[in-house]
Amino acid sequence: MVALLTVEKLTKKYGTKTIVDQISFKFGHHKCVALIGPNGAGKTTTLRTLAGLLRPTEGTIQFESQAKNQDIRSWIGYLPQYPSFHSWMTGKEFLTYSGRLAKLTKIEAATRAIELLKVVGISEEASNERISRYSGGMKQRLGIAQAIIHKPKLLILDEPVASLDPIGRREVLVLMEQLKQEMTILFSTHILNDAEEVSDELLLLNKGKIIESGSLQDLQKKYQTTVIKLEIDDSVDIYQEKINALESVANTKIERGALFISTVDLKIAREEILTLAAKEHWPITTFSINRASLEDMFMRVVNN
Amino acid sequence: MQWSTLFQKELLENWRNKKWIWVPLVIILLSIMDPITNYFLPQIIESVGGMPDGTVFELPDFSPSEVIMMSLSQLSSLGVLVIVLLSMGTISGERKSGVSELILVKPVSYSNYITSKWLSLLLLVWLSLFLGLLMSWYYTNILYGTLSFVDFTKVFFFYGIWLTLVVSLSIFYNSIFKSSGLVAFFTILTIMIMSIITKIFHHVLDWSPNNLSIYIQEMLTAEKINGDLWATSGVALAISVLLVLVSIQMFKRKEMAG
Amino acid sequence: METINWALLAPLLIIEFLLLIVAIVDLIKVKETNGPKWMWALIIIVISIIGPVLYFIFGRRQR
Repeated sequence: MVALLTVEKLTKKYGTKTIVDQISFKFGHHKCVALIGPNGAGKTTTLRTLAGLLRPTEGTIQFESQAKNQDIRSWIGYLPQYPSFHSWMTGKEFLTYSGRLAKLTKIEAATRAIELLKVVGISEEASNERISRYSGGMKQRLGIAQAIIHKPKLLILDEPVASLDPIGRREVLVLMEQLKQEMTILFSTHILNDAEEVSDELLLLNKGKIIESGSLQDLQKKYQTTVIKLEIDDSVDIYQEKINALESVANTKIERGALFISTVDLKIAREEILTLAAKEHWPITTFSINRASLEDMFMRVVNN
Repeated sequence: MQWSTLFQKELLENWRNKKWIWVPLVIILLSIMDPITNYFLPQIIESVGGMPDGTVFELPDFSPSEVIMMSLSQLSSLGVLVIVLLSMGTISGERKSGVSELILVKPVSYSNYITSKWLSLLLLVWLSLFLGLLMSWYYTNILYGTLSFVDFTKVFFFYGIWLTLVVSLSIFYNSIFKSSGLVAFFTILTIMIMSIITKIFHHVLDWSPNNLSIYIQEMLTAEKINGDLWATSGVALAISVLLVLVSIQMFKRKEMAG
Repeated sequence: METINWALLAPLLIIEFLLLIVAIVDLIKVKETNGPKWMWALIIIVISIIGPVLYFIFGRRQR
C-alpha cells in the first residue's frame, strides 16, 4: 500500500494535559477512514492537528511526496464540527472565495463553485442568498463544498452528520460515499452506525490513544461474538432446555421473547441446533448469527 | 492573485456592512463641527438668552490654520476612537467566530491575510480623512479666510500618517487577542501611554509620533515643512510597518484553532 | 438678531440626516441585531450622530 498519509507518534499537549498521546497510523488513497471515540477522546484535536490548525507537540505528519517544509494545506480540505462562514456573503460567493484562496483561477473557482453547489444540493436560488439565511443542514453542505473545492487529497470532516436530521444525515453519508472515489476521507464520529455505513477503515480513539485500528471486516472478525439469535413461534422456554443440553452451547438467555445462544464453537452449534430443529419441526421464525456490531466491539475494546 | 482576492473581500465586506458610507460621514461631521459651531457661537449665545448687560465678551478671531487644527483635534480624540472601534474586530472577530479556521486551513499566506486587512482599513481611513478635511477646508475658506489647497494637502498627508499608526496598532493587537474588546482597550491604552510618555520626556522625544499635530501646526504658521515634521513622520511610518511585520510573525506562531 | 445662514448649516444637517437614514435602512434590512431592534431604532433616532455610530459598531451582528 502506498500510504497517502503517515502519522507517527503524534502528540498534543496543553500544559501538562495530554490530549493526543503518541498516535501512529497511516492510510492509503480513496479510503474512508472513521475516527471513532467517545466524547473527549481527542478526536477534534487530532483532526485539527492534521489540518494544520494546531501544532503537534511531538510527532510527525507526512504526506506522500511531500517535500520538506512544503505547505500541505492545498492537499487538505477541512470542515469543523461547527463551521462558521462570512455570513454576509452568498453561498456562491463564499465558495468562489474559498476556491480563489486555494489558488484556483477565477474561472476555475467559478465553475467549480457551480458544479459543487449541484453536488451538495444547494439550489441556484439559494446559492445567491446570504449565508445568514441558511439552515443548519444547508450550512453543513456548503461546508463540505468549500472543503472539496480545490480537490484535496485528504478530506477531514469533524462530526459531519452529528447535527443533522435523518434526511440530512442520509444525504451527507451518500455524498461521502461518492467523494471516496476522488479522495481519502477521514471523519470523526461518535455515532457508530455512521462509521459502519461508510467507512473502510476504523481508528478507535480513547483517552488520546488509538486502541484499535483496521478494516471493518478485520475488526468484526476479531471481535466476532458467537451469539445466535433464535426466535420461535411458540414459547421459547421449552426449547431453551433442549439447546442447553447441546455440548457446543455455552449458555443461553431469553430477552424480549428471543433466545440468545452463546456458543463454544459457532460452526458446530449452528449445525447441531439446525439439525435438531429440523428433526423436531420447530416453528422457527428467526435464526441469525449476530455479527459483532461496532457498538459491541467498541464497548469491549474500551472496557478491556 | 491571492492578495487581491483577500483585499477585494475586505472591500466588499466594508461595503455590505456600510462602513464605506458611515465612516466617511462621521469623519466629515467631526471635521466640520468645530469650524461651524465656532462661527455660529455668537448667535448661539444670543439665542439662549445672550450675555448679561454690560458683559464684554470678546470672541477670539480664529485664523484659518487655527480652524483646521480644530478639525484635527476632534479627529485625534473622537476620530481615533471611531477608527479603533471600527477596526477592533477585523482579525479577532474572525478568529472568535471560527471563520478563520475555514480561511486559514486553505493555503493562505499569513502576510497576505494581514496586509490585505491593514491596507483596506488604511484605504477607508485615508479616504474618510480626505473627505473630512476637504469639507473642513471648504468651510475654513468661506468662513474664516484663505488656506491654500497646497496647505490642505500637506495637512491631509501628514495627519494621515498619524492615523496610519493608529490602524497599525489596532492590527497589532488584533493579531494578539481574540476578543475585540481587548483589542480596542489596548490600542487606546497604548496611544494614551505614548502621549503621556511624550509629554514627560518632551525634551528627548522630539520625534514621537504624538507630536505630529504640533509640527503640522508649526508647518502652517511657519509656512514651511521643518525637519522635525519629516523625521516624526518617518518614525511614525517606520513604527507602523514594524507593527505589521511583527503582527505577521506573531500570527505565524499562533495556533489558529482552540 | 441676525438670521441664521441656513446655506452654511445645510450640509451639516444633510450629512447627519443621511447617517440616520443609512442606519435605519440597515436596521430594517438586517436579520438580527445585538439586542432588540426597537431599542436600536430609538438610539439611532434620539441620539444624533452618536446613535447611528453606536448602532454600526455595536448593534450589527458581526457575522
